[in-house]
Amino acid sequence: MDDYASSDDDYNYSDDQDSVGDVFANDDLDFPLVSSKGSTTQVITKESLLAAQREDLRRVMDMLSVREQHARTLLIYHRWDVDRLFGVYVEKGKAFLFAEAGVSVDECRDSSSLAYDSVMCEICMDDVPIEEATRMDCGHCFCNSCWTEHFFVKINEGQSKRIRCMAHKCNSICDEAVVRTLLSRKYPDMAEKYERFLLESYIEDNKRVKWCPSTPHCGNAIRVEEDDLCEVECSCGEQFCFNCLEEAHSPCSCLMWELWVKKCRDESETVNWITVHTKPCPKCHKPVEKNGGCNLVSCICGQAFCWLCGGATGREHTWSSIAGHSCGRYKEQEKTAERAKRDLYRYMHYHNRYKAHTDSFKLESKLKEAIQGKISISEEKNSTTVTDYSWVNNGLSRLFRSRRVLSYSYAFAFYMFGDELFKEEMSEDQREIKQNLFEDQQQQLEGNVERLSKVLEEPFETFKDKKVMEIRMQILNLSTLIDNLCKTMYECIENDLLGSLNHGIHSIAPYKSRGIEKASELQVSWSNKANNTGVTAEVERPEESGCSSRKRARKEGLGGGFFDLNLPAEFLDRN
Amino acid sequence: MIDFARVQKELVECSKDAEGSGIRVIPKSDNLVHLIGTIPGPIGTPYEGGVFQIDITLPEGYPFEPPKMQFSTKVWHPNISSQSGAICLDILKDQWSPALTLKTALLSVQALLSAPQPDDPQDAVVAQQYLKDYQTFVNTARYWTESFAKTSSRGIEVKVQKLVEMGFPEAQVRSILEAVGGDENLALERLL
Ligand SMILES: [Zn+2]
Ligand SMILES: [Zn+2]
Ligand SMILES: [Zn+2]
Ligand SMILES: [Zn+2]
Ligand SMILES: [Zn+2]
Ligand SMILES: [Zn+2]
Ligand SMILES: [Zn+2]
Repeated sequence: MDDYASSDDDYNYSDDQDSVGDVFANDDLDFPLVSSKGSTTQVITKESLLAAQREDLRRVMDMLSVREQHARTLLIYHRWDVDRLFGVYVEKGKAFLFAEAGVSVDECRDSSSLAYDSVMCEICMDDVPIEEATRMDCGHCFCNSCWTEHFFVKINEGQSKRIRCMAHKCNSICDEAVVRTLLSRKYPDMAEKYERFLLESYIEDNKRVKWCPSTPHCGNAIRVEEDDLCEVECSCGEQFCFNCLEEAHSPCSCLMWELWVKKCRDESETVNWITVHTKPCPKCHKPVEKNGGCNLVSCICGQAFCWLCGGATGREHTWSSIAGHSCGRYKEQEKTAERAKRDLYRYMHYHNRYKAHTDSFKLESKLKEAIQGKISISEEKNSTTVTDYSWVNNGLSRLFRSRRVLSYSYAFAFYMFGDELFKEEMSEDQREIKQNLFEDQQQQLEGNVERLSKVLEEPFETFKDKKVMEIRMQILNLSTLIDNLCKTMYECIENDLLGSLNHGIHSIAPYKSRGIEKASELQVSWSNKANNTGVTAEVERPEESGCSSRKRARKEGLGGGFFDLNLPAEFLDRN
Repeated sequence: MIDFARVQKELVECSKDAEGSGIRVIPKSDNLVHLIGTIPGPIGTPYEGGVFQIDITLPEGYPFEPPKMQFSTKVWHPNISSQSGAICLDILKDQWSPALTLKTALLSVQALLSAPQPDDPQDAVVAQQYLKDYQTFVNTARYWTESFAKTSSRGIEVKVQKLVEMGFPEAQVRSILEAVGGDENLALERLL
């Protein structure tokens, strides 16, 4: 492996001579370490949760000229899909949009009941002073104590996000300001819970936002721009598939990955191995391995038995028969054993390769450290020709990214060309052609990944400048080549393999040259802060004192960990 | 906590026009958690002439949670379990509103007797019969009404008369019949 540029490798490099060209001048053509600049995914922390939904609320409030609580009710109903909401608005009109979601906008805050100083509450059937009753936007008026109990029961039932009016067949959603105010008087804990549920609806009910699956939970959620399949990295370092929340697994589809993880975890394969290679002793029940030759096996306990049927026998035997023993199960056993063996070998083939690459990229941090050591030594040499060593780190990142792809590509191939998922999709011949095509690419990729790995292991810190520049060029060339090979393999997977399926719904996260995207921190801008006070300011209710105390409570809540966003609300509630 | 003040008021309200509506609600024991409601079978249905008893249990959160209702009289109806008497009715589940009362709920149950909804069945066997063999359904429902929902008073009178004619004293016949729950044969065994 000393002569990377030797003739048999030329074939691999030929495509790239142009693009790499004068490598000395082209450092920035190489891939920078993953940057979060311009990322389409964002980290939402407990501090930015309110700000994150503010944009959506604002859009709806502006578009429809409604108050925040109505915008929220509309958005919760449409699962925070602003486009869908506007679609309904355009197609079916405002009245429909509002009625469907249970929004009543009270146009004539009515004066008729103000003529009396008491009202009869239909729920408790008591006459109550007018100031102890509340009229909702839908026009239904009941006493405050009945409203409070209603809110309490509904929140306990887990319906905080859509508490309907108490009147029979009234579809209207209760004003969140009223819910807050009344609840906090009698059940402050519940009011807090209600607040959190409303806030977290943005995560729980939104297909663009999901909790980071890290354990212990980092408290963050991730928002993506489109709900397309993608893989993301949270600011806590957790990398995951946004669709299934498992570890990033492209080019496996989520289903393939689920099956694969289960297969690897299940002991069934090991059990399978034991069934294929051993049989329990009829006397002591220990598994006994057949050591070739005839069908008489003997256990360490001294018992001899027939390998074909497992029955205890004497020791007297010839090559084809055991004295005093006959069994007719030979053929049947042989067949199933053969199948199991074949399936097992197939699994082992893919699993071994999968595992080898996975194990290698798990050593990432260690290797990084070692390389860093070599770079430090090199830098101390104060060479005038080689001043920058970023190409080493970039090469290493490329190595790990492509190892990841390679590793998961074996799990992918196991299902793509196996019977489990696509038996009906391809004829044997088609499958063979496709498998050859794919494995050809996979092998090319693998070969070059191993080459890159070897070059990176070179003790370049001990080399002369000229040799170092050679190494550098090899790393740059190999990196470009590997990136291209990954792209080609993904194209093959997406177009020729998964793309040709009739029934398959196997979508995969696209290949990212720069690796899994790091979600950027959501910027909390000044306007969000301004809006923060806007929330409370717009609530104009007679209960002014209750209102301002709530204002305080909420601010404390967001700043001082009033809500523990380390866990989803329902999880906390279960405890 | 159950709002007992409201339950009291409901009972008073309900008894006011019990004659008109035929709907009654009475406490089962001295607390107001368990109640018994009765509804007359709607006219022009196989349930006509029957009087149906419904066991009512009030949940902790009543009236903010729906009352639990279950037929204690056996009834043959697609939305009522012929085994347990469980009722499939939306207002007793997610469509409950605290503005509804026991009486309005019982009126809805009565309306359900008039208008079965076999597409949302509680008793699949009955629902199948209702859809496939309506006449048999009507006959069975009527027979069940006759057997289980007719006020026992008339039936009892017949039995009393029969036993008195056999030569037993009327007062004794009545008390024994009551003791055995109206079972003619059991009463006869005791009298002998
Ligand atoms: Zn009230
Ligand atoms: Zn209403
Ligand atoms: Zn995280
Ligand atoms: Zn996934
Ligand atoms: Zn043994
Ligand atoms: Zn032998
Ligand atoms: Zn044998």
